[in-house]
Amino acid sequence: MKKSLLLAVILTLSSHAYATDQGQTVPSCQATLADTGAQLDFNAYKGKVVLVDFWATWCPPCKKSMPFLNSLRNEKQKDGFEIVAINVDENSDEAKQFLAANPVDYLMTFDPNGNCPGVFDVKAMPSSYLVDKTGTVRLVHLGFRDGDEATIQQHVEKLLAE
Amino acid sequence: MACCLCLLAQGCSKVSPWERGNLAREDMSINPNPNLNRFRDHIFTSKEASQGGHSGAGGGCGCN
Repeated sequence: MKKSLLLAVILTLSSHAYATDQGQTVPSCQATLADTGAQLDFNAYKGKVVLVDFWATWCPPCKKSMPFLNSLRNEKQKDGFEIVAINVDENSDEAKQFLAANPVDYLMTFDPNGNCPGVFDVKAMPSSYLVDKTGTVRLVHLGFRDGDEATIQQHVEKLLAE
Repeated sequence: MACCLCLLAQGCSKVSPWERGNLAREDMSINPNPNLNRFRDHIFTSKEASQGGHSGAGGGCGCN
């Protein structure tokens, strides 16, 4: 009985052991790029500051953040900033319909199986992971509320200046 | 005992933040038709006077 309890505790805690946090290298995961159909590879963005944004169509704050993220990306792209959005809708067609009506310029990927949010151990929707030029996660931002725009922009500019 | 616990535990499942698409659907809310329910409560409170038991106010005149 004691062994079973110990095993249960270990299994419960083990799910938190792999959460992607600040200071860790951005993990690789499986998502499909919307434009080419290729697999997402974070190594392709080394040397750039990358914001990995997890979103879904059923998440109102996610959708609210998209115009801001799009304008930030277009403003800072020339300085070496990129956004990789990972859509986690179980039905990617819903996301495609939404994007047709509300297009964005940054990189879009689809992960209907939840591989990437599982690897990152996403704690909330939306979640943003700001990755520096060396591929290290420097900021984990949960949710999107009024006033978060300034915080995110400040961190992006700080990493771009490094 | 362990079998019973296992059977009961089948109803318990961790839903990760990114898996809440179905739970976020409008028809999955506890109160899927808030406007209709408020309208019905208003009629009920008006007809039954103090027997509403919901959050409706008024003394039965139906004017609030």
